[in-house]
Amino acid sequence: MALDIALLVGLVLAAALAILAKDLIKAAVALAVSSLLLGIVFFRMSAPFAGVFEISVVAGLITVLFILTIALTKTDGEVQESRTALWIFPIFFIVFIAVDALVMKGLTAKIATLPAGPESGAFGDVLWKQRTFDLVGQLAVILSGVFAVLALFRKRDKDE
Amino acid sequence: MIFLYIGLPLIVAAVLPLVGKVSKKVLPDVLANGVFLFLFAYAVTGARPLLAGGALRQTFTWFGEPLGIQIAVDGFSLFLLTVIALVSACVGLYSISYMEHYGSKANYYALLLMMIVGMNGLVLVTDLFQIYIFMEVAAVASYALVAFGREHAELEAAFKYLMLSVVASAAVLLAIALLFGLTGSLSFAAVGEGLRRLDDKIAAGIASALFLLGFGLKAALVPFHAWLPDAHPSAPAPISAILSGLLIKVSGVYAMTRVFFHVFGLTPALSEVLMWLGAVSIVVAALLALAQKDMKRMLAYSSISQVGYVVLGLGIGTPLGIAGGLFHLLNHAVAKSLLFLNSGSVQQATGTRDLDEMGGLAKRMPITATTNLIGSLSISGVPPLGGFWSKLLIIMALVQARQPALAVIAVLASVLTLWYYLIIQRKAFFGKLNARWAEVKEAPFWMSAATVILAVLCLALGLFFSSVVSTWIQPAADGLAKGMGM
Amino acid sequence: MNSHWLLYLFFAAGLVGIGLYALLTMRNLIKLFIGIEVIGKGVSLALLATGFAKGNILLAQSLVITFIVVEVCLVATALALIVNINRHTKSLDVRKLTQLKG
Repeated sequence: MALDIALLVGLVLAAALAILAKDLIKAAVALAVSSLLLGIVFFRMSAPFAGVFEISVVAGLITVLFILTIALTKTDGEVQESRTALWIFPIFFIVFIAVDALVMKGLTAKIATLPAGPESGAFGDVLWKQRTFDLVGQLAVILSGVFAVLALFRKRDKDE
Repeated sequence: MIFLYIGLPLIVAAVLPLVGKVSKKVLPDVLANGVFLFLFAYAVTGARPLLAGGALRQTFTWFGEPLGIQIAVDGFSLFLLTVIALVSACVGLYSISYMEHYGSKANYYALLLMMIVGMNGLVLVTDLFQIYIFMEVAAVASYALVAFGREHAELEAAFKYLMLSVVASAAVLLAIALLFGLTGSLSFAAVGEGLRRLDDKIAAGIASALFLLGFGLKAALVPFHAWLPDAHPSAPAPISAILSGLLIKVSGVYAMTRVFFHVFGLTPALSEVLMWLGAVSIVVAALLALAQKDMKRMLAYSSISQVGYVVLGLGIGTPLGIAGGLFHLLNHAVAKSLLFLNSGSVQQATGTRDLDEMGGLAKRMPITATTNLIGSLSISGVPPLGGFWSKLLIIMALVQARQPALAVIAVLASVLTLWYYLIIQRKAFFGKLNARWAEVKEAPFWMSAATVILAVLCLALGLFFSSVVSTWIQPAADGLAKGMGM
Repeated sequence: MNSHWLLYLFFAAGLVGIGLYALLTMRNLIKLFIGIEVIGKGVSLALLATGFAKGNILLAQSLVITFIVVEVCLVATALALIVNINRHTKSLDVRKLTQLKG
């Protein structure tokens, strides 16, 4: 459990760094690190497939997309983040975490939960047989995304 | 074969880009409109008898093995499927002429079909997580459609819309995770059963607050409305019609109603919250609409206000209130799509959306002016058009439920509605013809055809309101009141 | 198992909070989108941890994988939007996006 907590703390700190870093590339890398840590947390929760997805797709592919975008966007000078926002962040963060902790502590005693049905078999069975409809949805989302990107990067037609 | 509502548009959308390589315009037009018309015809004729024995559930098998695909249809979902098919069919016809100058029609129709897949899927699912997935299918397609013209304003609107919409999805997903943790399951019925057994006010309260935030953002209820007046006017007119006429209702109102009625059960406190959210939306958005100069922006604020009526009606929770809310949903879907399509015709003819620059267009565009008048009167609740009856039902239900304050608000706000619609009518269509528009022509055939169909529907919904209510609205209201029986 | 579940939820809420803060205060479009990504991480942690605490890890795993697929499509669309905005404004500053008001 101690290792898990260390990983989770690292995850939150990496996410905070991704928000605060001035350089966009550094921010993207910090985001990738936080994905990596989340992936390890997933592995430790005995969810290897989700872990692999998190590391390869989110830490890998999405970071590549971010860096590609940063390279593709030409700017006239840096965007100045407001100084107050960076200043207030530590205060906001501490207050938020404190409230968060109090709420969760308060709920521990109060919340009752029902047990879930037992589950057995392999992961593939669950994904392919119980959640087949999710796969249809995934297919639809991928198609939507592909068409969206095609539409946004389409060449100007002659008759436009 | 209810699954066709998801499968058919999905398959056609997948092949459209390939078809677009062969034939740039004609084939995409024919294919997409064929799908819309087929789904509409099927909703009106074939699907109704399926429900004869109550709510229908279907599971699918693949070579003898049961698949994890389960969809369910009750009166409420069938009603929504019909509304979606109706509006998308008219919008499809309108797009034939309107989308000529945007280029890459195949891509446009593919995105439009994906949005329909998302909405139909959302209406048919029986599982909380699948609500989220199909909501995203429709949302991702709609971001690209809002930005379809790729001008500065359109991209800006799409980006703001995306930001707020993602926050909405995150809130919904957190609520789903919480409910999953509390009850250990995801299907509507099992979660609802689990929540009744737990009877935990705090946890259920947190989850419903998150849902309210998420679906409230999607439905653009005041105070979660900031993105809508940017996003809806910026999109091409047919897409504005779909976004205002359908998307906010399906991924906002439908999902909210399904979850609150069938999973949580409508408690008096929740009903109170919904009614006041609705009432605040009605008044605030109507006042904001009055101040607008841009025709489409005014229509967008009006959407927020009218969705407020729908939520107000549904929030009452009595059979009469639910029927009124659903009927208003139908009326608003028809009339608002009509008005947005008309604004597109005007914009294409004159190149402006600024009401102050228009004037006297009725002389040059008589069809557009007439249909626009019918739509405006229907939405503002002038008898004998559809909107009058639905608002009347809602107000009667409010009086019955002993909510006189809300009833007064609903009546007064409909006067406001009439006021700002008359502003549009007077500034754009009536009065002296502005010399600039002497050469303006009436909209092309398909655009006029779509608006005429919708205007006739506005009239028909009012004139035959009792049979509309008994064949379409009542089964839907019953479905809502009874639950899906699963 | 409740205390474990809530411990994970505590961290998930922390991530969502950081992301929301970024959405409210940041000016760079890419930074705003990194904020959205951070919220997404919080949500996926909450989903998987819930399944872990309930002993339903296989189900939760398939949900998280679907979520990641959705997220990739969302990121691709949003970044395409950002590149297009950049072509118009030659900047990544959200304060340049002020055409729509009222």
